[in-house]
Amino acid sequence: MQVPVDLGLQAKPKGPDTLIDVRDMRIYYATTAGEAKVVDGVDLRIYRDEIFGVAGESGCGKSTFVEGLLRLIKLPGYIKSGTAQFFPKNVEGKEPDEPIDLLKISQQDMRKLRWKHIAYVPQGAMNALNPVMRIDDQIVDAIHAHVNMSRKDAIELMLKQLNMVGLPPYVANQYPHELSGGMKQRVTIASSISLSPDVLMADEPTTALDVNIQRIILQELKEIRERLGLTIVYVSHDMAVHAELADRMGIMYAGSVVEVGTTIDIFKRPLHPYTQGLIKSIPKIGGPRERLVGIPGLAPSPLAWPSGCKFHPRCSKAMDICRQVAPRLGVVEEGRQVACHLYETQPKVESENSERTLSEIKLHV
Amino acid sequence: MQKYKRFLFYVLRKVATYLFTIWAAFTITFFLFRSLPGDPVSAWAGALQQRYAVNMAGGSEMVEAYRKQFGLDKSISEQYFSWMYNAIVHQKLGPSFVNFPRPVEELLAERIPWTVGLLSVSILLAWVIGLLLGALAGWLRNSWISSLLTNYAVVISQVPPYLVAVMLVLWLGYSWRILPTQGAWDAQYTKGFNLPFILSVLKHAILPSVSIILVSVAGWILSTRSLIVNILGEDYLIYAEAKGLPTSQLLLRYGLRNALLPQTTGLALSLGFIMSGQLLIETLFLYPGLGELLARAIGAFDFNTIMGCVMLSIVTVMTASLIIDLLLPLIDPRVRAVVS
Ligand SMILES: Nc1ncnc2c1ncn2[C@@H]1O[C@H](COP(=O)(O)OP(=O)(O)O)[C@@H](O)[C@H]1O
Ligand code: SF4
Ligand SMILES: [Mg+2]
Repeated sequence: MQVPVDLGLQAKPKGPDTLIDVRDMRIYYATTAGEAKVVDGVDLRIYRDEIFGVAGESGCGKSTFVEGLLRLIKLPGYIKSGTAQFFPKNVEGKEPDEPIDLLKISQQDMRKLRWKHIAYVPQGAMNALNPVMRIDDQIVDAIHAHVNMSRKDAIELMLKQLNMVGLPPYVANQYPHELSGGMKQRVTIASSISLSPDVLMADEPTTALDVNIQRIILQELKEIRERLGLTIVYVSHDMAVHAELADRMGIMYAGSVVEVGTTIDIFKRPLHPYTQGLIKSIPKIGGPRERLVGIPGLAPSPLAWPSGCKFHPRCSKAMDICRQVAPRLGVVEEGRQVACHLYETQPKVESENSERTLSEIKLHV
Repeated sequence: MQKYKRFLFYVLRKVATYLFTIWAAFTITFFLFRSLPGDPVSAWAGALQQRYAVNMAGGSEMVEAYRKQFGLDKSISEQYFSWMYNAIVHQKLGPSFVNFPRPVEELLAERIPWTVGLLSVSILLAWVIGLLLGALAGWLRNSWISSLLTNYAVVISQVPPYLVAVMLVLWLGYSWRILPTQGAWDAQYTKGFNLPFILSVLKHAILPSVSIILVSVAGWILSTRSLIVNILGEDYLIYAEAKGLPTSQLLLRYGLRNALLPQTTGLALSLGFIMSGQLLIETLFLYPGLGELLARAIGAFDFNTIMGCVMLSIVTVMTASLIIDLLLPLIDPRVRAVVS
């Protein structure tokens, strides 16, 4: 692959460092009307130190996918099958290169990984703080759940984190209702990474906020990432946010990943017809406010996905084969995967050397 | 300063509501009982007449004298104001009829410790047990423990409360003779602060107390369970779980702690229904408390004692709920924000 040096693009000699390797992950909900296959075969690789954007319309299973990786799925939902190999640094009682299958370990082991190795900011993080506890108590209790530390040190660590996102120390002594939505959001994000986790999973963390605060928080996330070298999995239905933030993206449709690539590739040349529709529906800044001609039709129900390619009822390029055979996610070119019969793909899961740096993305957004 | 003023206003409003409610309850009870046909002296004279077939015609002077002593010769409005005057200014509630001539306030003072001791302990125990079991049932909402507790609570809330007490008396008291079923202590011990007496009191309190707990725990289990199930779906609980907190902390500091607020208010509200249940339990167990006194007073048309018992329970219940109202801002930062 041609690498323009002035953009600071680097190809690691041995390929990118995989942090999470998800294969054929399935999460079903048992309902009276049958099984809802909300996550229906997700294949993804997330590399260390990247910002990975998970995109797709509401209801396509993005949140469920992330909750599955954290084992937060509650009955009647359950993990049907799949693996998610996780390669964290320095987990106690584990060899450095030995992966952990997030979908198989016990809840007890999972509890130890949460916050310390996998931080999570849930959807609706505006309400993620306990209304009857002071901020400091809710952060210190989490720190104490994972490390032995005096309360004084824990408070100090917390204040450092708050300061990092520009929050004054008195916030620590307040109750959640005394803070604005944006402040609560920043408290949640900043405190979640106080133990330098391997990865931060943020599910629509800015969706409920106004655009200015949204922008500030995205900026802060980028700065944090650059300073601390944090891996971020960023979930959002908003393609514009991904354009601003993500290094690479995975597009989800109907419970599966239909396209993976660098953000720049995906925006420049979307391959999957669904991705093309998503990009067409991004409102243009300053343009006339018109009904967007994105994707016709309604999103299908997880209780009865369409046969073959789940997108075929809404796809303008659908062919006969699309109604019968489900396309598999395969490699079309370096670092680019798509699940669509329009493309010749190799059944290889992922190629190497697909990592790009933030500076390149920034130039194109 | 502004904050302080608003809090003061909140307290004043609560206290005003408190005083008004007590006054209204007093007035309604007063006129309700006086509007019934009959008074204690006539009832007593009638009973004498029937029992001994004496002709009371000659004793009408005596009846009049008694009526005068009870203030029954005056008009109802005069009786109303003099009762209020004596109660508020002199803390005197007039002579009782059931224990004539002992004044009502003395009878009440004698019985308060029994009722308050039995009630407050049982009600608080029921509340604590109900909250813990309800939280457990909510947390393990798909387990057999949850269905067991829920079924128990549903069944109990369908049967009349005294039935539980009757069953307990029959089994533990009469059939198995494990526990005493009447009174508050064994007459063989001298009343006072000595171990045998205290043990006897505790032993006598078990059956009435367990009857109260078994019944009132049911409501707390059901309401706490549904509160916890709702809280489990809240974002702050999901986030707390994602922090990797141990289960006990999740359940207590995040789950139960948030259920505590509505349940504290619920406790205040439920205080109002206590007296009615207490009447039955004390009568059934011949427990020397207010409920048993009230039951006898009603039978004898003893206005003064009835008014004394009713006023005392209203004042107690209202005071308890006033205290809880004033405490609420302390346990809920959001209420605090609203009132100050
Ligand atoms: N308890 C449930 N029973 C059945 N379906 C459910 C349940 N919970 C969620 N779902 C389904 O999961 C989908 C939502 O997935 P989610 O991961 O929240 O999507 P996204 O985050 O992309 O908006 C919806 O289609 C919804 O119908
Ligand atoms: S597989 Fe067929 S239906 Fe599906 S997206 Fe590609 S062209 Fe459209
Ligand atoms: Mg979502």
